[in-house]
Amino acid sequence: MAEKDISIIHPRPSSIVAALYTLRDLNVDVAILHGPPGCSFKHARLLEEDGIHVVTTALDENGFVFGGRDELSSLLTKVNEMFNPKLIGVVGTCASMIIGEELREPVQDAKLDVPVIEVEVHAGYPNNTKGVLIALESACDAGIIDSDELERQKILLEEATNVEKRHGAASREYLTPSRGDLKYKVAEKVINYLKEGKRCLTIMNAKKETGYMFADITVAINEVAAQLGMEENVINMANVDDTLGLPRVRHHARSIMEDFKEKGITIHENIGGMDEYPIAGEKVSELIAEKYSDFDFAVITGVPHAIPMDNLAGMEVISVTNGPRQVIPLKEMGHTNVIVEIDLHPKTLGVTHIVESEFGATMREVAKDILDAEQEAA
Amino acid sequence: MMAQKRIAIYGKGGIGKSSTASNVAAACADEGYKVMIIGCDPKSDSSITLLGGKRIPTILDLLRQKIDVKEEDIVHEGYKGVKCVEVGGPEPGIGCAGRGIIVAIQKLKQMCKSIDDMDLIIYDVPGDIVCGGFVAPIRKGLVNQAYILTSGEYMPLYAANNICRGLAKIDTQLSGIICNSRSVTREEDIVRKFSGEIGSKLMAFIPKEQIVQDCERDGFSVLEKAPDSPVAGVYRELAHAIMSNEDSVMPEALEDERLRELTR
Repeated sequence: MAEKDISIIHPRPSSIVAALYTLRDLNVDVAILHGPPGCSFKHARLLEEDGIHVVTTALDENGFVFGGRDELSSLLTKVNEMFNPKLIGVVGTCASMIIGEELREPVQDAKLDVPVIEVEVHAGYPNNTKGVLIALESACDAGIIDSDELERQKILLEEATNVEKRHGAASREYLTPSRGDLKYKVAEKVINYLKEGKRCLTIMNAKKETGYMFADITVAINEVAAQLGMEENVINMANVDDTLGLPRVRHHARSIMEDFKEKGITIHENIGGMDEYPIAGEKVSELIAEKYSDFDFAVITGVPHAIPMDNLAGMEVISVTNGPRQVIPLKEMGHTNVIVEIDLHPKTLGVTHIVESEFGATMREVAKDILDAEQEAA
Repeated sequence: MMAQKRIAIYGKGGIGKSSTASNVAAACADEGYKVMIIGCDPKSDSSITLLGGKRIPTILDLLRQKIDVKEEDIVHEGYKGVKCVEVGGPEPGIGCAGRGIIVAIQKLKQMCKSIDDMDLIIYDVPGDIVCGGFVAPIRKGLVNQAYILTSGEYMPLYAANNICRGLAKIDTQLSGIICNSRSVTREEDIVRKFSGEIGSKLMAFIPKEQIVQDCERDGFSVLEKAPDSPVAGVYRELAHAIMSNEDSVMPEALEDERLRELTR
């Protein structure tokens, strides 16, 4: 795809943070940010929920002037004693990279018996996937992943960037964030469609751990359909292949699948691994063309903008995203309704089971009201 | 009361900025002016000949040790009461010297009350304007006159010409050119022409004299160690010229081709 020549002015996800999340997926026990104490604070905090320790060398004005080699090597020694880690990651920041700090020497100074993944990254890359890439390349060098997995990830990352450029947060100079459509209105609509006997496709195309919440929408639709006696009209697709991706990502797929099973929900089409959200769209398109082209409506969750509209043209599309900047592009793609699960990501860190979504909860409540009213009337 | 002069001397590395700065400082002190010299080079060698060859602790040395810096820690009196300050810097190849200058200058502004009483403050800045930090004294409004030191050789003139471009970029006017001779042919003529063509003027022609080097080796300025030498007289004249100079212009850098012609 040709590069679009636009200059995006809204702040976007940072490569430093992307590197941190990648280290988490590689199951590091400790990630060290080499830079100012406030850098990436919010995500560093959230990652602690996910069971890894994120610490900082806390470079101050002196650190900027004199460098922080000693600070980094002594912090490595300290975290090794404090947390007894099996794998450590060190991540650069804008400040440390601009003053020319390098990470190899302080790691060697510390002489640890633990493998260390060094990620020389700053936040000045137009695509935050660069942070993932640098982390993965470094992990490959350190022997944590093999070169096949690295190559696979490279393809996925490139596609992820393309998806954002086509219809995502990198598609426009400035995108106004939006809270999307009112959840109860859309819930009412979905319930009515099910009641009318319309055929429904649920498509969960979730990015890694966000699946823990998007899966709840699949669950809610199936529950409501069952209450209405319409479960036969719902077909479920989800990217929950647990044989693909980094160890932690496979674990998420396994956990979510188990929950689906326990709740009696059939995933008719497993559309890929939980890191395959940028490429699962093609598969979804093929499946629809093959088997489901006569369905009435689709509810797409996760990364809905990665699903091409071609084969969805005959259906009404309702989508659920966690990106407030995603509402406008999705409406422009032709989605009738777009719902935003605000603050979804923090609630999916550190969990191993499906967590309740606002839209799922709304649907359950609205369905209950409708059914209660009908019973009273009867 | 005369307006305080706050000057910076630019020029190619090794051309004699620190020598000139300390001799001018000493000459002005001889005249009874209150003078401060602030060395902004990480090598911290600007004030050494005003202090009998001694080094003083630099601002960044103290900040590095996390000492609560006071004025008396960083301002040291040298020859005839010239106040000497050295910014200092990180070890070569580590950290960021440019950021160091910014931090030190901020500290100095905040700590140093005597700076306001000075008649002349000389900022001895590193040769090339390599990054934002190196123009901090100008950008922070601390400098109000810039001078360029050069010889008649091609490379120092090339650097001088480049500095003119840099000054235009940071919107700073040039108050004059000083020639520190390397005894090359037609030197004074070349530098005078250059000064004129960029729109400025030649302030002084400092001849190459062994005595300057000899005094430096002993750790002194010429004014202190050889006050009766002819070159001491030249420094005195330059000091007068600087103290009475009110002119400044936005220099217009020459085309490379013209610069080459001039030195041929």
